[in-house]
Amino acid sequence: MKKVPTFLRALTVVMILLVVACCGFYFYWNEASARSSCESCHEIENSSIMWARSGHRDLPCKECHGTALSSGLHSLQEKGMMFVHHFTGTGPRQITLNERQVLELTENCRRCHGAEYARWISGGHSATYAAIFLNDKHNAGEQLNADCLRCHGMFFGGAIEDLVTPVSTKGPWQLKVAGQSDLPAIPCLACHEVHREGSPAVRAGYDDPAKIFYYRRGSPSNVQWYDRYEKIHIRVEALPLLKPREGTRELKVSDDPRQQVCVQCHAPNAFHQAGTGDDRTPRGVHEGLSCLACHDGHSNDSRWSCVNCHPAISNCGLDVTKMNTTFAASGSPHNIHFVRCIDCHTKGIPPKHGSRLQRADGTHSK
Amino acid sequence: MDNSSKISRRDFMMLATLGVGGLGLLAGCVQQHPADSAALSEGDAGLVGAMADRIIPADAWPGGRENGVVTFIDMQLDGHYRRFRSEYRKGLDAVTETCLRRYLKRFEALSPEVQDSFLREMESGVLRDGEWKEGFSKRFFEMLRSHAMQAYYGSPRHGGNPNYASYKMMGIDYPPIIGQNRYGL
Ligand code: HEC
Ligand code: HEC
Ligand code: HEC
Ligand code: HEC
Ligand code: HEC
Ligand code: HEC
Ligand code: HEC
Ligand code: HEC
Repeated sequence: MKKVPTFLRALTVVMILLVVACCGFYFYWNEASARSSCESCHEIENSSIMWARSGHRDLPCKECHGTALSSGLHSLQEKGMMFVHHFTGTGPRQITLNERQVLELTENCRRCHGAEYARWISGGHSATYAAIFLNDKHNAGEQLNADCLRCHGMFFGGAIEDLVTPVSTKGPWQLKVAGQSDLPAIPCLACHEVHREGSPAVRAGYDDPAKIFYYRRGSPSNVQWYDRYEKIHIRVEALPLLKPREGTRELKVSDDPRQQVCVQCHAPNAFHQAGTGDDRTPRGVHEGLSCLACHDGHSNDSRWSCVNCHPAISNCGLDVTKMNTTFAASGSPHNIHFVRCIDCHTKGIPPKHGSRLQRADGTHSK
Repeated sequence: MDNSSKISRRDFMMLATLGVGGLGLLAGCVQQHPADSAALSEGDAGLVGAMADRIIPADAWPGGRENGVVTFIDMQLDGHYRRFRSEYRKGLDAVTETCLRRYLKRFEALSPEVQDSFLREMESGVLRDGEWKEGFSKRFFEMLRSHAMQAYYGSPRHGGNPNYASYKMMGIDYPPIIGQNRYGL
């Protein structure tokens, strides 16, 4: 047999070693604890500290962030660059994620939070870039501008000019970034931050079932708002409370902090006049209720919410779901958020005749 | 087959072990990098915090330290304010030295009243000895005060004012609630 030149032999050894070393390193890195791997990069340390205090602390980083290879070549390149920045000190002090990474993360949220994902997909909040930015009626009525991205498309890395063309009220409009049109404009991370304080669930104590209620201490809510301008999440408890005015009267509003995320987007004009812009703050018969008293946090559905309060509460003695409001029919003049007694009882409230509503047990509701 | 052209299994395993073992060294090297590249040491942070708490004392609202002045300065000295690093180094050392000399205590350990009077001296520029010559005490104080204000009233993005405490104090909502215009819609 022909003799293999020494340098080739050496090369083979080196190559094999390199592969073994890389694989070894890859497996080591993936299996090692965060403390001896990712976290040793000080740019990541803060994120690690918050992770260790979060409700997700029992999950290794790769469950969400994937491994260097699982998220494809671009991630390998990116992680490579992190090494370069790390050693040259040219990187940012605290790294943040780009939109692709945010959306890859969303796919991972789905793996474990399938129910929330399914509900989100079925509601308006999974609207795509195409649906929001290529809507002819909207674009003709209101000039596209940077602020659109505050409420949808908040993770988009560029300016509005980089997203849609033309930026004018005359179309036809198209998206400038290939592959952007089907991406969700309000992903999970619009309302959720993961690296934040939280606690994993703990088993209840069973010795006295009557005590379990008292052990469920009010924990902070699970909802945060992503502020595009500051590139940070803000806890709903720290978001401002909206108190719109009807004329000069200040509405009574629910103190459910979770709805403070809703009103960041479903917001009135700068004067906080009730009913302006996209404001849906309940007034009239439902004044003071939280959005979440009726709407599910992910699907936004409110179909089954009426039974939480009705018919236990009934003035008219009728089945509220069949009354003339937008719940029963979209063409109704009586918007479920705003309807007042006098909208229907234009001649004043009639006297009570007792309930026409038979309850299942045969008694009357009121 | 020529045996010398092959690597024996034992050699291979040995080399491979060495190679993979070597990676452990790499990991070790990564870890030796100071965990926190921040500009202020723990001692510095304590001193800056103590001064911040006298410049902006706590009342019903958080004081300077609690509202992120130290984090802000630390972060900025590692970023845009890198140019002030040597001033800080010089100033902080001078405060500690002067206090040790005068009161036999570090600034942090002084009572609030003494701390205030010391800061007032710095501000007025009467301190002239040693490092303080050429009006440095006044310059240093003014820099510190201005950075404390930036931290306290600025955006949390820059490191201070966590949760917009000062905005709340001033009755400013952040983020402001303003809906889309819906002109002609
Ligand atoms: C303050 C947050 C906010 C801003 C700013 C904003 N939107 Fe919206 N957008 C919303 C909300 C909330 C809805 C849902 C409204 C509803 O269903 O009542 C919505 C709905 C839409 C829809 C669905 C169709 C419709 O008219 O309801 C389109 C399209 C849209 N926005 C485009 C835009 C564009 C383009 C801009 C910039 C000119 C913009 N939005 C600015 C919050 C915002
Ligand atoms: C528009 C805002 C919004 C978006 C977008 C959103 N969520 Fe939520 N999420 C909420 C609200 C509000 C709650 C609290 C609901 C409640 O308390 O019933 C919540 C709660 C949760 C919870 C905690 C549930 C529990 O029972 O404690 C999980 C998990 C969750 N969301 C996952 C997701 C995932 C996954 C996505 C993306 C597919 C997502 N969310 C998108 C608003 C949102
Ligand atoms: C449950 C999913 C999950 C796990 C587990 C997780 N992360 Fe994250 N990570 C996220 C999300 C989501 C973001 C985007 C910002 C946020 O929500 O906090 C993020 C952001 C980051 C960022 C960018 C900084 C920022 O705030 O945007 C870094 C760095 C990071 N994570 C590192 C880690 C490390 C290191 C670990 C393991 C110790 C880890 N993550 C574990 C979901 C996760
Ligand atoms: C590997 C599985 C896994 C992945 C991936 C994951 N989660 Fe979770 N998440 C959990 C588990 C388990 C809990 C419950 C923790 C507990 O209470 O013990 C949880 C709890 C939550 C909660 C409520 C509790 C809290 O305080 O945080 C929210 C909100 C949430 N996850 C959002 C997300 C989002 C957003 C993502 C995607 C970035 C995500 N999760 C990815 C497993 C996962
Ligand atoms: C980040 C901005 C944003 C936040 C936060 C937000 N929404 Fe929306 N919401 C929208 C947009 C945009 C649409 C319209 C999407 C479309 O084109 O269908 C919408 C649509 C809706 C709809 C009508 C479509 C449907 O799914 O039934 C309801 C109801 C709704 N939101 C309720 C809520 C509630 C309740 C909250 C708080 C938990 C909330 N929203 C938080 C932006 C937001
Ligand atoms: C009493 C229950 C109830 C409450 C409280 C409530 N909603 Fe609704 N909402 C409904 C019902 C029912 C519908 C569907 C019928 C309709 O479109 O009016 C609806 C529809 C919507 C829609 C889509 C239709 C539209 O009007 O644009 C949005 C957006 C919305 N709600 C947002 C909110 C927000 C934001 C809050 C809190 C500020 C809120 N809702 C509070 C019951 C409620
Ligand atoms: C969280 C409790 C709550 C929920 C959920 C709720 N309502 Fe109500 N609703 C009330 C209260 C309270 C009143 C009576 C207000 C009063 O007496 O001034 C009321 C009154 C009404 C009225 C006026 C007629 C009457 O008999 O008082 C209608 C119509 C109505 N609700 C429809 C609905 C519909 C439709 C839904 C489901 C989408 C719904 N409500 C969900 C609390 C609720
Ligand atoms: C969506 C329309 C609507 C709204 C809103 C509404 N009602 Fe009625 N109400 C009716 C109708 C329809 C009847 C039955 C016909 C009638 O008596 O006028 C009725 C009947 C009544 C009756 C007579 C019940 C009986 O025993 O005969 C009273 C009392 C009453 N409403 C009080 C109220 C009050 C108080 C409110 C506000 C909290 C209210 N209604 C809101 C539609 C409405």
